[in-house]
Amino acid sequence: MSTMQARIAIALVGTWIAAQTGILPAFAQNTDIAVVVSSQNAVDNLSAAEIRKIFAGEKRSWAGNIPIKLFVRAPGARERDVLLKLMNMSESEYKQYWTGRVFRGDAQAEPIALFSNGMQKEAIALYPGAIALVNLQDVKPGMKIVRVDGHKPGETGYPLN
Amino acid sequence: MRRNRRFLMLLLMITSLGYAQNPTPSEREMIEQLAQQVKALQEQVKLLESQRQRPGPDANNSAALNSMGTGPPAAEDASDPQHEPFLQGLHDLNGIQWIGFGEVNYKVLDQRTPELGSYGFVSGSHGNFYTGDFDLLLTARINDKASVLSEIVFGEGDAQSFGVDLERILLKYDYSDRLRMSFGRYHTGIGYYNTAFHSGSWLQTTPDRPLIMEFANDGGPLPTQAIGVSVTGEIPSGKLGLNYIAEYGSSDTIRPDDAIGSTDENNGNHFNVGFFARPQSIPGFQVGGSLYHDLISDDIRGPDVRLGQTIVNAHIVYMGHKIEFLNEGFLIRHAYEQGPTVYNMPAFYSQVSRQFGRIRPFFRYQYINANSSSLLEDIGLRHGPSFGARFDFNDNIAFKIQLDHTLRKGQPDLNGLHSQLAFTF
Repeated sequence: MSTMQARIAIALVGTWIAAQTGILPAFAQNTDIAVVVSSQNAVDNLSAAEIRKIFAGEKRSWAGNIPIKLFVRAPGARERDVLLKLMNMSESEYKQYWTGRVFRGDAQAEPIALFSNGMQKEAIALYPGAIALVNLQDVKPGMKIVRVDGHKPGETGYPLN
Repeated sequence: MRRNRRFLMLLLMITSLGYAQNPTPSEREMIEQLAQQVKALQEQVKLLESQRQRPGPDANNSAALNSMGTGPPAAEDASDPQHEPFLQGLHDLNGIQWIGFGEVNYKVLDQRTPELGSYGFVSGSHGNFYTGDFDLLLTARINDKASVLSEIVFGEGDAQSFGVDLERILLKYDYSDRLRMSFGRYHTGIGYYNTAFHSGSWLQTTPDRPLIMEFANDGGPLPTQAIGVSVTGEIPSGKLGLNYIAEYGSSDTIRPDDAIGSTDENNGNHFNVGFFARPQSIPGFQVGGSLYHDLISDDIRGPDVRLGQTIVNAHIVYMGHKIEFLNEGFLIRHAYEQGPTVYNMPAFYSQVSRQFGRIRPFFRYQYINANSSSLLEDIGLRHGPSFGARFDFNDNIAFKIQLDHTLRKGQPDLNGLHSQLAFTF
């Protein structure tokens, strides 16, 4: 192996290790998950704790008593992984959590799990109180991105990634 | 240079393979996830096909879309107009939704007589199988703010007889996060457990409820159910996350009693007021308390003899990071209207468990000290530990096993083994 080949190999292996261990800030910024709401929604900024409360079903209405409608991605999507990370739950715990909420009468049903970002876009357009998590690269026109703890997705310090 | 390119290609392939394998901890889980996705997609296709069979587009949905002016551009993906009624139908969840809970139990005690909370346990045998509660939870949405919840339980009595009980029937109206109202039959908000866990054993870590939270018709000392109005909501308190609960209704509790068959407490209307905090900074943590008061009759001395029943509760609960830590303390005070007789009866339980994969070992210690001259004379002083484990076969079926050691005043210690197969569907 020549010196050139060795340098390239070291660089690639280094990049791979950095990506695997999550110590590539630039790479992380591209995978931020945006919190999106209807363009009619007046909310511009939410704290990470508020977002957790919303997706945990503890906060159920926006200002003006508009009911919050939760839309989440089905298992397997990256947005789902971030949701579970936000809730600090496994998939099973998430299911059990919502069964418990329905059983206690705190929710009518588990949030609807959608199979594509296109469907999330339709949901956001259809319901003024809708909120969803969408991969930043998949945010469509008509979706309003909410700042989280004052940060936009892609900015340093953005918590949902 | 050409060799360099080949070498680069090879490295990139290895790298990409590494990425492909990384997101899930094992191939099996990935296969399960993919199978779930395929199943979900099949259900979606079925729903879409059923939507297509409708004669025309839903006029209400079109109106809603037009009024918002957010119709999707034609070039967007998934912009098929069929999605809109599909989504609307999916989220609005019209009709009745239901969840079922069932259980099969085997319980054995080292005494021949039945024990409190062992409903369905045939007197005179050492060990029995019984089904416990078969629970159907039905919910229906009326509109964005109103809904109906009902819980119907088929409970097992003696000699495999079954009775139907409308455990809960509630018309719920959520005006806002600060005002949520329920009208109908509810589980009283005395403490934490009674409103967090209902009849479906599948949700509980342990096979049984703590004795102090046992349903009254199974021998528990508290008025666990009532008919009336229950109001709850948030109190503006920033990060403290303060909530209130206020209830007014009639409980009319009937407790089984070894001596006279059953005790009808003929409760007057009760009120219950509680406060609890769920601090934003500690998700899963809850601390709070409640005060319950009603008037009950003394069956032994006759219905004219009334006593005031006051129940004070304090609780600290943490559910998070796979840990369950439940602690509740109670003071039950019975004070006769005529005369100075007052009974103060303390009780508490503490339960801790942690999930390790599919297994959740647990430990519970409970204590109750009911005066032997009071209406709760059948309970008396009893305390002791329980330990065991819950094993989740999957998201719907769990097996639980529990060993109990109970010390009782004036009676021999009681040992028990309780196993349970609990499921939801």
